[in-house]
Amino acid sequence: MKAYEPSGHSPWNVQRVVHLHRRAGFAATWQEIQRDLDDGPDAAIDRLLAGKAYATGVPEDFDTMSRVIGDAAVAANNPNRLKAWWLYRMIFSPDPLTERLTLMWHNHFATSNLKVGDVSVMRRQNEIFRECARKPFGELLTRVVKDPAILIWLDADSNRKQHPNENLARELMELFSMGVGNYTENDVKQAARGLTGWTTKNGQFRFVEQYHDNGEKEFLGKRGTFTGDDLLQTVLDHPATARRIAWRLCDQFFGEGALGEEAIDEFATELRNHDLDIRRAVETILRSEAFFAAKNIGTRVLGPIEFVVGAVRALEMLDPPPSTLVLSEWTARLGQDLFYPPNVFGWSGGREWITTRSMIGRVAFASELARGSLRRPDKPVDVAKLSKYVDGDSTHEALAEFATSLLVPVSSKEFRQRICDSVFAKEDTGDLTCRMFEAILASPEAQLG
Amino acid sequence: MFNRREFLKRSSLLSLAPTVPAFLANTARAAEAKPDDRILVVIQLDGGNDGINTVVPFADEGYAKYRKELKLPTDRLIKLNDEVGLHQAMGDFGKLWETDRLAVVQGAGYPNPNRSHDVSMAIWQTCSFDPQEHNTHGWLGRALDQVQRPQDGSPAAMLVGDEQPPIAIRGRRSVAAAIDRIDEFTLPESAVTSKAGPDVSANDLTSFVQRSSVDAFATAERLSELAAKPDAGASYPNTTLANRLSLISRLIKSGFGTRVFYAVQSGYDTHAAQLPSHFRLLRDLSSGVFAFLEDLRVSKLDDRVTVLCFSEFGRRVKENASLGTDHGTAGPVFLVGPGINAGLHSKTPNLNNLAKGDLKMSVDFRQIYSSVLSEWLEIPHNMEQKPLDLFDA
Repeated sequence: MKAYEPSGHSPWNVQRVVHLHRRAGFAATWQEIQRDLDDGPDAAIDRLLAGKAYATGVPEDFDTMSRVIGDAAVAANNPNRLKAWWLYRMIFSPDPLTERLTLMWHNHFATSNLKVGDVSVMRRQNEIFRECARKPFGELLTRVVKDPAILIWLDADSNRKQHPNENLARELMELFSMGVGNYTENDVKQAARGLTGWTTKNGQFRFVEQYHDNGEKEFLGKRGTFTGDDLLQTVLDHPATARRIAWRLCDQFFGEGALGEEAIDEFATELRNHDLDIRRAVETILRSEAFFAAKNIGTRVLGPIEFVVGAVRALEMLDPPPSTLVLSEWTARLGQDLFYPPNVFGWSGGREWITTRSMIGRVAFASELARGSLRRPDKPVDVAKLSKYVDGDSTHEALAEFATSLLVPVSSKEFRQRICDSVFAKEDTGDLTCRMFEAILASPEAQLG
Repeated sequence: MFNRREFLKRSSLLSLAPTVPAFLANTARAAEAKPDDRILVVIQLDGGNDGINTVVPFADEGYAKYRKELKLPTDRLIKLNDEVGLHQAMGDFGKLWETDRLAVVQGAGYPNPNRSHDVSMAIWQTCSFDPQEHNTHGWLGRALDQVQRPQDGSPAAMLVGDEQPPIAIRGRRSVAAAIDRIDEFTLPESAVTSKAGPDVSANDLTSFVQRSSVDAFATAERLSELAAKPDAGASYPNTTLANRLSLISRLIKSGFGTRVFYAVQSGYDTHAAQLPSHFRLLRDLSSGVFAFLEDLRVSKLDDRVTVLCFSEFGRRVKENASLGTDHGTAGPVFLVGPGINAGLHSKTPNLNNLAKGDLKMSVDFRQIYSSVLSEWLEIPHNMEQKPLDLFDA
């Protein structure tokens, strides 16, 4: 991929800084935006890759706090508290890129606690995603597929020599690696045979020899007495896996119409030539011209997590933050219930995030967040503090322009006019500036990022 | 019925948008029920409903013999024929019977009955006897996997209530959701919304989101109106089940694409002092379902809806020493709606020809499901059991 160089038609400006943070993080605060604007794209991306992108609100003892909150959720076996733990990380971690990638892997290896029923198992899976987020994909795949969460979720324990269960084999091939169309039903049956014997005991992976079918199998055109490990390696070596992972990364960082199939094919080849190294792939994407091209800006629908966490950070509602438990209920209401993906396909995302229920929910969320009722005690957006970021006069238009640049990827004078008309045309019955932030956050245009 | 012109005039949101909200287009289609518009509402009677005291075989001498304390007075029963009658609390089901909107499938069960609540319920929800399949996908989830998802982005199946979506509606691909309160679909009074942009007809992402927001607000307004001014005839009793059915009715009336709704009515595990609680449960069930159908009938939507009521097992023929009954085997299944083939189906269980003190089943419950999938929802399935002719042609 060709590297990004700021230029006349692709300048390094506020819009691009905001764009970078929306895709590689959740949302930057105004000061973080200004810092990155001054330092240039290379430094801004360096910071994201190094896990130091966020400065505002990051507690000194973040790691300890996070561990305490996570441990408490596990001790109570309370899934809602686990969701709150992860939201805490997303809002306060200095390393938002890792949290975004963790979320991406949670979706890729979609596992629901509805069936697993054990918060400690779900947390452990989540930590594997976090730890291996940028490792070579083979390492992540092996760790995840031999971890109790997936084994329980996909009935590995029921997969035995005498009566194979194809669930794990099918999803391994269809969803985690190669993708549909690259294997036959017979391959699934054979893979199921190869995976027999993979079970869990006492929360650990355990291989049970007597359940394992060690007969000869024919898999993807090769013959042998393949074990589960052999299957994993075969699948990792298959070019379709590189293609699917390339697709997954492009789906994460590029929007509608931003990248053609050929570009993804090329990217897949490069991935394959570098051992499916995710860290390198992510860096390549973030530093690319295509990533910063105008046709990649504002072309993704913000998923519920991105929308909610992004709003909290962009509006600097960090002291105190809204209750993370309450925020987790909101993201669930908007269609993204952490640790409870709807099925094994995860959240399809894109335009499917937009439904009647979720659109109403987003407007309702904007209202409650801006007015402050999500914080205890009630504390609306600190308009006075945010207004100070505006150069010159605090006219309605200037404030609208500032707020829009924070919350809307692509806007126009006409959009700002419409906002001002709907908000300021009313009688002066309260803080209309706060209502302006609310109106912008609730607008259709602000659902994109 | 709702006045389209009036709505368009009043709604400032629509003043700049050239597109018509999807639900308004949908209501024009509602007049004639087409296969892909049909809706199934499942009511799960949790705990094991005592079928013998629900569809009472009053003419069977075994009834008086085995049910000394729990015997219901014959003259109070709602007679369905000269052999069986409904529990006297089910007056509203009696009205449905008289208007050919009630089908009773007698003695529904399965071979080798299981008396554990969890296991038997899992069998009914997954159609599988393999415990390893009891936590994966259910009969409706699998069926909905075969069809396209609703165009408006609604979930394929929705549980209405505060429980988790049951396994019955969980599929591999299809999305099942749970909803508890109508306020998830209503905008806060004070919400600030700006007018839509000038061009929402293009297919780019911005136009799509703008159009969707117009649609969503129109639906929210529609739902608020329904709440504020219920149609005549839609007077629901004040029970949990009726509240849930009322919410389902409003979603249907608002044109939601969801085709399968699920609600749970708890409390049927009547091991002791059965008479008063069973009375209340059956009264609430029949009054709730009746109000639901009447509500839909006034909106001319009832011909698109069938309600299916089932329980995980019936109860033992002989009452126990605590004025209650213990876990049994087969029991009745109700289907309600204008589209069903009304009447009694399958054989009335014989209380003198028992299997170790329990009713022998007359029909495999999977035949009922087969009918629902083939004849009502018209979704392809691979169930082996033959359908039962439970729906009008």
